[in-house]
Amino acid sequence: MGKHFSVWTLLLSTLVGVAPASAQQRQITGRVSAATGEPVAGVAVSQTGTAFAAVTNADGRYAIAAPAATVTLVFRRIAFKRKEVAVAPDQNTADVSLEPDVFNLEAVVVTGQVTGIERRNAAMATTQVSGEEVSRVPSPALDRALAGRVPGAIISQNSGAPGGGTQIQIRGSNTVIGSPDPLFVVDGVIYSDASLPTGLFTVTRSSSNRGSGEQQDDPVNRLADLNPDDVESIEVLRGAAASSIYGSKAANGVIIIKTNRGKAGKPRANITQRMGFSELLRGPGTRAFSTTDTFPYHLATIQSYVAGGQVPFYDHLKEITDTKPLAYETDLDVGGGTENTRYFLAGSSKRDGGIVGNTFDERQNLRANLDQTFSDRLKLSVSTAFNRTATDKGFTNNDNNGASVTYAIAYVPSFLNVLPRNGVYPAPAITYLGSNPVQTAALAKNTETVYRFTGGATLTWQALQTIHHNLQLVGQGGVDLFQQKAVVISPPELFYEQTQTNPGTSALSNADSRQWNWNLNAIDAYTPSSGSFKATTSAGIQVEDREIGRARVVAKGLLPGQSNIDQASVLQSPFEINAQERTLALYGQEEFLTLHERLLLTAGFRAERSSANGDIHKYFLYPKAAASYRFPNLMGEGTELKVRGAYGETGNQPLFGQKFTTLTTAVIGGSAGTVIQGTAGASDITPEHLKEFEAGVDAQLWHGRATLEVTGYSRHTYDLLLQSTPAPSSGYGTRIFNGGVLWNEGIEIAGGVTPVQTQNLNWIFRTTFTSLKNRVQDLGGICQTGATVCGFRPPIAGFGLAFGEFFIQKGQPITQIIGTDTVAGGGGALVTRYLGQANPRFRWSFLNDVTYRRLSFSMLWDWQYGGVEQNQTLSLYDCNGLAPDQATTAGRARFDACNVWGIAPPFVQSTTFLKLREASLAVELPERWASWIGARNARASITGRNLVLISNYFGYDPEESNFGQQAISRNIDLGPYPPMRSFYFSITAGF
Amino acid sequence: MTTTTTVHMRRLAAVGAAAGALFVAAACSSFFDVPNTNQPNLEDLVTNPTRAKLAAAATGIFANARGDIQGVVWRLGSLGREGINLSGNNQPDYQEPYFLSALIGSGFGGALWGGRYTAIRDVNIYLAALASIDTARVSSAEKAASRAMANTMAALAFLYVIETRDSLGAPIAVDLPISAPPAPFARRDSVYGHILLLLDSARADLTRAGSTAFPFSVPQGFSGLAPNALDFSSPALFVQFNRALAAKARVLRATAAGCGTACYTAALADLAASFLSGPPANFKKGAYFDFSNAAGDAPNGLSEPLNGFTYYAHPSDSVDAQRQVGGLPDQRVIDKIVPAVDTQVLGGIAEIPGKQKFTIYFTSGNADPARPVPVIRDEELVLLRAEAEWFTGSKAPALADLDSVRVNSGKLAPTASIPLTIASPDSVFVKELLYNRRYSLLWEQGTRWIDARRFGRMGDIPKAPPTGGNVAKVMPVPDPECAARGLAVNCTP
Repeated sequence: MGKHFSVWTLLLSTLVGVAPASAQQRQITGRVSAATGEPVAGVAVSQTGTAFAAVTNADGRYAIAAPAATVTLVFRRIAFKRKEVAVAPDQNTADVSLEPDVFNLEAVVVTGQVTGIERRNAAMATTQVSGEEVSRVPSPALDRALAGRVPGAIISQNSGAPGGGTQIQIRGSNTVIGSPDPLFVVDGVIYSDASLPTGLFTVTRSSSNRGSGEQQDDPVNRLADLNPDDVESIEVLRGAAASSIYGSKAANGVIIIKTNRGKAGKPRANITQRMGFSELLRGPGTRAFSTTDTFPYHLATIQSYVAGGQVPFYDHLKEITDTKPLAYETDLDVGGGTENTRYFLAGSSKRDGGIVGNTFDERQNLRANLDQTFSDRLKLSVSTAFNRTATDKGFTNNDNNGASVTYAIAYVPSFLNVLPRNGVYPAPAITYLGSNPVQTAALAKNTETVYRFTGGATLTWQALQTIHHNLQLVGQGGVDLFQQKAVVISPPELFYEQTQTNPGTSALSNADSRQWNWNLNAIDAYTPSSGSFKATTSAGIQVEDREIGRARVVAKGLLPGQSNIDQASVLQSPFEINAQERTLALYGQEEFLTLHERLLLTAGFRAERSSANGDIHKYFLYPKAAASYRFPNLMGEGTELKVRGAYGETGNQPLFGQKFTTLTTAVIGGSAGTVIQGTAGASDITPEHLKEFEAGVDAQLWHGRATLEVTGYSRHTYDLLLQSTPAPSSGYGTRIFNGGVLWNEGIEIAGGVTPVQTQNLNWIFRTTFTSLKNRVQDLGGICQTGATVCGFRPPIAGFGLAFGEFFIQKGQPITQIIGTDTVAGGGGALVTRYLGQANPRFRWSFLNDVTYRRLSFSMLWDWQYGGVEQNQTLSLYDCNGLAPDQATTAGRARFDACNVWGIAPPFVQSTTFLKLREASLAVELPERWASWIGARNARASITGRNLVLISNYFGYDPEESNFGQQAISRNIDLGPYPPMRSFYFSITAGF
Repeated sequence: MTTTTTVHMRRLAAVGAAAGALFVAAACSSFFDVPNTNQPNLEDLVTNPTRAKLAAAATGIFANARGDIQGVVWRLGSLGREGINLSGNNQPDYQEPYFLSALIGSGFGGALWGGRYTAIRDVNIYLAALASIDTARVSSAEKAASRAMANTMAALAFLYVIETRDSLGAPIAVDLPISAPPAPFARRDSVYGHILLLLDSARADLTRAGSTAFPFSVPQGFSGLAPNALDFSSPALFVQFNRALAAKARVLRATAAGCGTACYTAALADLAASFLSGPPANFKKGAYFDFSNAAGDAPNGLSEPLNGFTYYAHPSDSVDAQRQVGGLPDQRVIDKIVPAVDTQVLGGIAEIPGKQKFTIYFTSGNADPARPVPVIRDEELVLLRAEAEWFTGSKAPALADLDSVRVNSGKLAPTASIPLTIASPDSVFVKELLYNRRYSLLWEQGTRWIDARRFGRMGDIPKAPPTGGNVAKVMPVPDPECAARGLAVNCTP
């Protein structure tokens, strides 16, 4: 439980303060301990009905002033169940023992920038995940560790590459050309989760168009810079009512992350050392040829490779993934301090190798968090973190040049030997554009290095404190900066480079990102003398500014052994792009808690203007309203039932540049002129507007040993940002405008039960269930009256109707895939029809945690049912006749589907899967072992990530996305980095 | 109030004031005015025009004016059986013009439309920016000169559109915001009327400009620096180009029914004010579109070496040629067509052979990606004058002009030997006129197809093979244009 220590944050700080001097006061003191007898620090002790509390110190001791009459003291702390104790007038000590709160029911839920409400009253759907849960099993990035833990969120990895690349989709697809990502806030600072491409497409030529090519670079999502071990808690705001406080960046949900802070008392330190390795989890087999096979090669060709009466078999996938890369990680953190000054310092360094040769992911982090109390009225809290991340992801994904290794192996038959002999790589006779994938894997470089600093501070001033009013002013500000340098090198000795006019490519890219935000808030909590209600009024102003600049240059025709961009014969495709966005918002909110803390009524609004909108002066309003009512003990003693409903509105900002109509250069006779580039921006562009109703029931049963949360929602996105093809006589080829409506509706269920809770054995079972359906309801000006089919191909749709393509169509699921198919009994006639949708029917996860004495064991299974993906990897193997079953009737049919008929259904496959995402086995080492190294406690564990994947999907992983993070066109799989399973052995010692 | 509360209140007031000040500072509008510094953009050009930005936009107009000319040459040349595109990569390129009696609005038939309207949009944006710049930066005379150039280039774009779509008409009032519904189609005669309106208003502006220079640089093809180019680089000289276009538009309008003699008469007046000059030595002189291989510029793809495999001349060009006095074929054939080094016969289809190539865009006997393509030149003006003279009754001067071309370009015997005299019927004159227009302007602007259509002689062009039907008379309205109006494909709005 070591990681659950925390001091109450601002969320309950309305309760913390010094009691004003008053007559007839006595001092009540005591000690708070856990069930194990250990003192518990940071417990808020308050008198029911008053507005302030004392906090226990590191020894669990507290002192609070109280009137002479009988008082009831309430003891509250994260991870423990609250306790109420009556203290008689003659009693001056009250020692209390607290029980663990397994399902985090006592937590405080975020309701505003600096406000919070207790979980039992919360009227909106949010999920809390502790830092311990996301760091138990190491993951490439924090978002991947959240998979299976958040109902309503479909979290999918984009590829198996080291360094991460994950998409979090909360409550479905709510946009087409807007941003699909949730907003991340770390310690009050808006944290950039940009995915910056390295320029791999200049080598793989996945597209000749930079916009499409960059999306196929399998970029790292910058959330990977955050060390999961630094995280204390994560709160996911799933619904519009909850996220409306963040306005037009929050249509896809908000993820609020708080990092560890020091606690008063003796300095505590923890050291963790991990070692591990990874291996290939799953991949497409390849066809084994026999001496009598006749397709797709001539008999004579195959026979020419026969050796010893047999056709040799080389598994090329194993050859490129045969490194069993070692991983290591070292973490160290120290925290401590006095009542007034508390600090937390942490450092970590890790390296994960990738299974494809020379790929890796490294991260070094340093963090310093400080909490300083200047007086009983003024407090400062500072968080700073510095990080360096470096990755090399190799050459994978879509390819038209011969560079991608997983693409090329789909062309090289298994009887060809491509391994080096005496360090010399053979040029394969049958391959893709002359490439030898093993040579490519050995010589390719696709590297990226990022330096990042994130820092923020929060200043809290207790402006007014009376018996009835508690007025706080909070100022928060922070900055998130990073710099990325990416180098992609494809040396001229690679076989596919040698066919180029200028062999050898080196692409150098740079990116600079700067985000800062600050806000000022005033919170007033009012409780009348009767104590019959508590009204919290908050208002504030927020300003956000974010800027990103990128540039790249590509050099071709490299000198042998050189990679600098000036050691080449031509420089090509330079580009530079700078984008900036500024937002100003005002908000107000009222929370009214009454009827013995049973009824909560909340209303609020956020009015926001942004530089991304057409009218930069206009404020867009995002209101919200929510209510909840608790029925304590409704189903017996120790049960709670709460019904809640909420309505909220958020928006999705237009992307930078969508409001501008750009001109491009046209050169004649050596002079450069400007002409229309062809896209008409919308000078009156507005954010997409999302409106949502949400209702739910939360139940606690069996004295908190069982919990159930069911939420249903229905949301519409209006003023959808769309791209259409206008009449060419307008002079434009593309037009951006607001119009159209999307609809998403779903159910989210989270449950937990502790069937066994004894001294020696503890079993906790948790489950989350997510299911949603959606439709495109309207497409604005794209549809002409009377048209039977109203729709359009999104910017990224796929690779042709013969393989399945996304098509956004009125009345159909948002992520539908259509393709060419034969008419049943139609004798060869072709028709375009619906083949499925990317959205799965449901996702259901199961988490089991068993603790027996010193041993603990846990497993997280994730089951996805339904949904389809364009399996272009399969189409590569089938088109080349190299799928393992190609010689069978079914295999032959797929070969024909690709090469003869041009029909799509065989290549649009169901993404039903069952995954064992995490498993861990840990043992608390005996104290005397720990004391040999001077430690208080020590723990050893074996953990694994991505261990089992059961699916009928062909090839790698049904979660893959060739185009990375996409609002609509996610499920396209084409030569991705193969998925890895990783094992770690760790030792943690606490000092 | 107690003292403590007063102190609290004062502190609160101070904080409130500070917050208010910060709010006001943050609410400063310019803070939110984040421009796009990555490319030039329309909003910036129109609201903050400068002399340099306008000059760049003017250069853009010239650059885009040549946008589709290669397509005009080979597409309309395919329809008119002057030549063919056999690059083999894209079947619609030769299949559709050669096999279909009615083209379809996607693929081959949908071309030569969007690019012209983008050029027209460029002009309209330029005019808007020009109107809003203050006269200290660009004087009124310079504004008039710039307007004239822009309107002339817009007229040229409309001319290309109506030449391809003819009786289907075309939208003309296209200077609408993107959110407005598409501009309505205007009838063919209204389109010609609009073209002449633009050209005439441009002439008035050129007169207003007087001796001021253009406030932008004029490319070599319009400033006499390119091979065979004449100098139109000042308003006083540019009017000659303007009148040449007006004459051409009037002649085309004359045969488009509804105009007749009045148009021809006006055309003669325009020709007199144009750069038309008598001597055959000047036949090649005129306005040209520049091309080059420089970075960012467009090369002349029509200029192909003899072993290239894209553009070929149609055999009828040689077969139909009249004979010179000594027995050789028409000199224009000898000058423009030679046997190919790399022959192609696609699919064994006899009608689509690739055995001869054009040398029209060669420089010193070799392919030249920088070879200019003529916009309009003296020889064409002579032939326009011949046509206008004949149909306004001046038949002897008409035959004299026709002879000037026949004898000097084709080295053929004079018209009297055909026989074609002032007493001949119109049909005989037209046949000979079209013959000379076809060979003098071969593979330059799709003359054979346009002439056959406007004189009702589509039967003269070799049939579309499998169906045996006549060659398509017009290119259809492109599919996206129909779709944007809610109509099915191949619409006639």
